[in-house]
Amino acid sequence: MRVAILCSSPYSETGCAVAARLAQVGYVPVGALTLPSWDRRTLLRKLGQWGLRDSLHYAVAKFAPGKTANRKQVLNPYLERSLRHGEGVYRNLREVGRVHGFPVVTCGDQNSPRALSQLKQWSPDLAIFTGGNILRDEVLKIPRLGVLNSHLALLPEIRGMSSPEWSLLCGVPLGITIHFMDSGLDTGPILLRREFTSGDDCEALTDLRNRMIAEGIELLAEAVAGLDCGTISAVAQAEREADRQFFVMHERLKAVATRRLKKGRLNTVAGRCDG
Amino acid sequence: MNRAESSTNRNVMDRRTVRGLTEAAGLLRAPQRVIPLCYRLASDELRATLEYRHLYSYAATSIPSADALRSVVGWMLDAQRPDGGIAAYYSLLTGYSESYPEVTGYIIPTLYDFERLTGNPAARHAAYLATDWLFSLRMRSGAFPGGLRGPASDAQPSVFNTGQILQGLVRAYVETGNSKTLQGAVAAGDWLAAIQQADGSWTGFAAYQGTAHTYYSMVSWALARLAEESGESCHAAAADRNIDWVLAHAQPSGWIDGINLRGHPAYLHFIAYVIQGTLECGILRRRDDAIQAAAKSAWVLLRKFETHKRLLGTYQPNFKGGQRFSCLTGNAQMSCIWLRLFEVTGDLRYLNAALKMNEMLKQLLPSKGRRGVLGGVAGSHPIWGAYQPMRFISWGCKFLADALMLEQRLTGQAETKFEASECA
Repeated sequence: MRVAILCSSPYSETGCAVAARLAQVGYVPVGALTLPSWDRRTLLRKLGQWGLRDSLHYAVAKFAPGKTANRKQVLNPYLERSLRHGEGVYRNLREVGRVHGFPVVTCGDQNSPRALSQLKQWSPDLAIFTGGNILRDEVLKIPRLGVLNSHLALLPEIRGMSSPEWSLLCGVPLGITIHFMDSGLDTGPILLRREFTSGDDCEALTDLRNRMIAEGIELLAEAVAGLDCGTISAVAQAEREADRQFFVMHERLKAVATRRLKKGRLNTVAGRCDG
Repeated sequence: MNRAESSTNRNVMDRRTVRGLTEAAGLLRAPQRVIPLCYRLASDELRATLEYRHLYSYAATSIPSADALRSVVGWMLDAQRPDGGIAAYYSLLTGYSESYPEVTGYIIPTLYDFERLTGNPAARHAAYLATDWLFSLRMRSGAFPGGLRGPASDAQPSVFNTGQILQGLVRAYVETGNSKTLQGAVAAGDWLAAIQQADGSWTGFAAYQGTAHTYYSMVSWALARLAEESGESCHAAAADRNIDWVLAHAQPSGWIDGINLRGHPAYLHFIAYVIQGTLECGILRRRDDAIQAAAKSAWVLLRKFETHKRLLGTYQPNFKGGQRFSCLTGNAQMSCIWLRLFEVTGDLRYLNAALKMNEMLKQLLPSKGRRGVLGGVAGSHPIWGAYQPMRFISWGCKFLADALMLEQRLTGQAETKFEASECA
């Protein structure tokens, strides 16, 4: 199975962990296509998402590794198992590529002619999306089987952004869905859909999200193996209405979601989230 | 385009030129306004150049809503003229305008709401003065005049202004129990019902540009509100007839056609008027068809706001592209609409979008500056945008104050509800 990785930055921990985990289970990527690390939009988005303090911590961990302990070089501690390499950890995708022998190519836009041509050259059976641009049909059609995404909620119930938080607020069980991407937002056929049950002792949304990301990577590896062996197949989503779409959650609602998380009442219905 | 339309458009252009020259001359009369003007132009230019809206824009609270609310209501209290009316705007070129009957009317409920929330007696007193002033403008027919109230004002009755003033009169009656206020409101409602067309629209001499407009759904809202107090079925029937007419203009895209403003684009402010009037009238009249139509329209705009982190200042029919400035009043109205839809449907995504919209609007409030600027809501962002350029407008402040008060009430209720469900 020829697998390509699509990544938002060479320094993306999730991207590195997916590539490293796939290599560990025997599916060494044929290549990784990433956006530049100094893209202004990405930097601003990350600043908005993490805040200045966590962004600085991340930058120090990635660019000045000698000054921090291994455990501090990984922002998401649950990825350490995938990222561990000898005495240290992978800090960027290029290191993973060097160790496992696959190329890492940077492009300004994953839909650009250059990106398309590179992907065609790799001729992948499958691509795994770990972040970047909204992919156009031309890109989605290149891998023989399609492009896989790990979505941090059960589909089709919760589509879009802040999905674990919305799951908590809407009383939808927490879960992870591995699905093929199509032109819609999280509307593609589903390969694996699993409830997430390891969040009961979580105290913070960041912790929950980190655990779910790590679990999502395990499911991705399982999905790739399943596709390779022909033991799983995709099932179209039951509905495609746009009104299952959710957006980035405001901090006041996040505070309520955090309270629900702490109380461990993950499956009670308290708010309505349909149109 | 026929000859009449071409002539109307020419007149609109001429009026704009004259207005522009008059405003520019205002700066010569009051050169002390040059510095605030330059400061505002420079700060908006800087923000427009440097600002990049990302996915997490406005998802955190940077300014407490209670502080922003005090500041915005402070602007409105400052804008009250000695006659009791509230100025339409503070122009960076010409200063305060004259009192404006329409906005004075529908700011009254906002002042009472603020007084109830904070116990601020100044807001209640301002509402008294505003009501008295409005009564001095009543016409024999029960109608109220259009336009700005100036010394040379040749009063013409106006459907829209009467409807907006009706909102204030009904609320003043509820707060004071003064039967004279109710009589004035009923007379205005009777006049509106009497001149309504058989199809439910308002057109002719008292309608803006002589034609029917779907944004007059705001008038239906006022009539529906009056019907609750007066108990007279003719007011409720008039509201229902107009909403039927408005709903006949609803498109599959969610767009409600029929804004019909010749010489102006469809500013977000007017689009939001259509939705808000339809929604509020639908709620009062318990009409699911109206609520559904408003929700469909509001959802299209919510998706646009969440995806692009902004709403355009104008839209083409069916929400196609428009002008890229922000119409801040329209944004504040959309926040009110989303909050009310959250209240009606319980869908948390409306609350989420409104919280972010309020955050964006709070960040654009001037935190320092002279009277008329401090705490004011600009017509456009940047300030030279096409809607009410170079002005801080009282109806923008009114809608932002409404949105912030709704936010406080509904987030409080939602949090209590969540806590109750957690304790159950």
